[in-house]
Amino acid sequence: MKQTFGSFGKTLLAAGSLLAAVSNVQAESLKIGIAGPVTGPVAQYGDMQKIGAMMAIRQINEAGGINGQTLEGIIYDDACDPKQAVAVANRIVNDDIRHVIGHLCSSSTEPASDIYEEEGVLMITAASTSPTITEKGYELIFRTIGLDSLQGSLAAAHIRDHVKPERLAVIHDKQQYGEGLATTVKDLLAADGIEAEMFEGVTPGDKDFSALIAKLKRNNIDFVYYGGYHPELGLILRQSREKGFDVPFMGPEGVVNSDLAAIAGEAMEGVLATAPKSFDQNPENSALTEAFKARNEDPSGPFVFPAYAAIQVMTDAIKATGETDPYALAEYLRANRFDTTIGEIGFDARGDLTESTFMVYRLHADGSKTALSE
Amino acid sequence: MSETALYVLQQLINGLTIGSTYALIAIGYTMVYGIIGMINFAHGEVYMIGTYTAFITIIGLVTMGVGSLPIILLLALITAVIISSTYGYAIERVAYRPLRGGPRLIPLITAIGMSIFLQNYIRLAQGSRDLAMPSLISGGISFGDPALFEVSISWMQMIIWSVTLVSMTALALFISRSRLGRACRACAQDLKMTNLLGIDTNRIIALTFVIGAALAAVAGVLLGLYYGTINPYIGFMAGLKAFTAAVLGGIGSIPGAMLGGLILGVTEALTAAFFPSEYKDVVAFSLLVLILLFRPTGLLGKPEVEKV
Repeated sequence: MKQTFGSFGKTLLAAGSLLAAVSNVQAESLKIGIAGPVTGPVAQYGDMQKIGAMMAIRQINEAGGINGQTLEGIIYDDACDPKQAVAVANRIVNDDIRHVIGHLCSSSTEPASDIYEEEGVLMITAASTSPTITEKGYELIFRTIGLDSLQGSLAAAHIRDHVKPERLAVIHDKQQYGEGLATTVKDLLAADGIEAEMFEGVTPGDKDFSALIAKLKRNNIDFVYYGGYHPELGLILRQSREKGFDVPFMGPEGVVNSDLAAIAGEAMEGVLATAPKSFDQNPENSALTEAFKARNEDPSGPFVFPAYAAIQVMTDAIKATGETDPYALAEYLRANRFDTTIGEIGFDARGDLTESTFMVYRLHADGSKTALSE
Repeated sequence: MSETALYVLQQLINGLTIGSTYALIAIGYTMVYGIIGMINFAHGEVYMIGTYTAFITIIGLVTMGVGSLPIILLLALITAVIISSTYGYAIERVAYRPLRGGPRLIPLITAIGMSIFLQNYIRLAQGSRDLAMPSLISGGISFGDPALFEVSISWMQMIIWSVTLVSMTALALFISRSRLGRACRACAQDLKMTNLLGIDTNRIIALTFVIGAALAAVAGVLLGLYYGTINPYIGFMAGLKAFTAAVLGGIGSIPGAMLGGLILGVTEALTAAFFPSEYKDVVAFSLLVLILLFRPTGLLGKPEVEKV
């Protein structure tokens, strides 16, 4: 008897919420959660994601919305803190939002994506690059930014095709990011017949690299790939120049920073680096770039255009399928290609981009950079 | 000379350079320990403050249009020494003197607190990013067969050696010849007795802090110019290495600190020369453990006699 009442109650509840959901769709706009740091030390990155996504939402609404419905972006602050990200994800679920752009920091995106997958929320991150996020084989988790590890294959291809070093050295800073990339580059080049003569690590925060440079010199190294960040590479470049060791260097995105020029000075002229494409420099995006500038927003941040593209693919899918159901949208996202502001993109089975969003650049001592190859 | 010999020579040169700066900083640890038996963990921060002062002075002079290199260097050294010594004195006066005579752990904790305070104070005042300065002194001499291996010594390395040599000689003369130096040695032997004989030991203790801070500032100027980048955290690692050098040579012994610094620097360079350079700290600190196992008082340290 008791049980009957229980199930009857549940049915009533389900019918009630269904009714509520239906009336929501008709009366209200489609809510999209934008989750990322609004406060905290990396808030400026959260701002890039926010201005990109909000611009897309605004422009779509001005053009009449999708399927007769306007979009509404709702900002959630996870402060780039994994614990707060979980709380935010739960709140988004409770607020009945089924479409999320975010989160930003990989460490926040990881725990939050567990919740979205379980609760049936479509999530597209425009900034998290850690490979582990999509490794779990989720159905509803996508991203519009390339993985860190893609930089390694791009760098290796560039070294193989354009640099063709005789004696290669691969140096890294023993940290997950730097050593991971250095190992990828070394292994890929070894597979192509270019063996590294030297493969070794330096201590992050170290200042004296004279012993390492003497060793590079002794081994007649003619090209160095460095996996790590700018403070160490800057000092290595500067000290190499002082010791008369003058060979080309290459590094990942972590070294592309105005501080590199300050540390290395003239010695950084001609350093190669893989970095995300500058979408705001693309002539096809000039109208959009102007729209940002008109609102006093900076379009040059690395996550602005990927966030815009995330909204684009989401709304394209909604338009094409005529539904807002996350599972239907996820299926459509995997099956089709999209023309977005970051180029023509598609998603693989994991939800990762099938295209690389990185490019090889030559850095200059005045802090500017020139694009070399796709 | 064969190629290997030239290579080893180059690494010895690199090691001696970094080793002499370790030795300069190590003096501060060893003198303070020799007299009051405490480890001044804020000493690395005094070195860092010296580097910042030198940077600010040099940039100030260059923007004012002073072009003469010797004048810039001299003024940077003088300002850094004055400011760092003031910090050294103030740290002793504020954080250690009121606690003298208390349990040994208490000054140790205030020293760590002082170190954290100074680090964060500089971080707030100057920002936490790396500051960089273009190299003022570049170039050098090189010799050896270019076909085999060319050994290069930069002018900056030679400046580091000569300034270290001059400072160390001055310190040795001061300790062995001057009245104040004699008072320092007396304090190191027996603080209470020296006080009974009419010497103001508080003044002598303050003096050792000032001397240590001044030498750390000299090291700060040299390394700041040599590397060209600084951040508020450089004091920690430099302090740790210098402390290791002091222990290696025998803490409390001034020649020991000099020897320990040089040995540590050369060991690091030679390790990096023949093994992957990520092992240089592993080998350097294993050496410390080995020496302490066989000579617990360090290379030149005297076995401690329990003072009654």
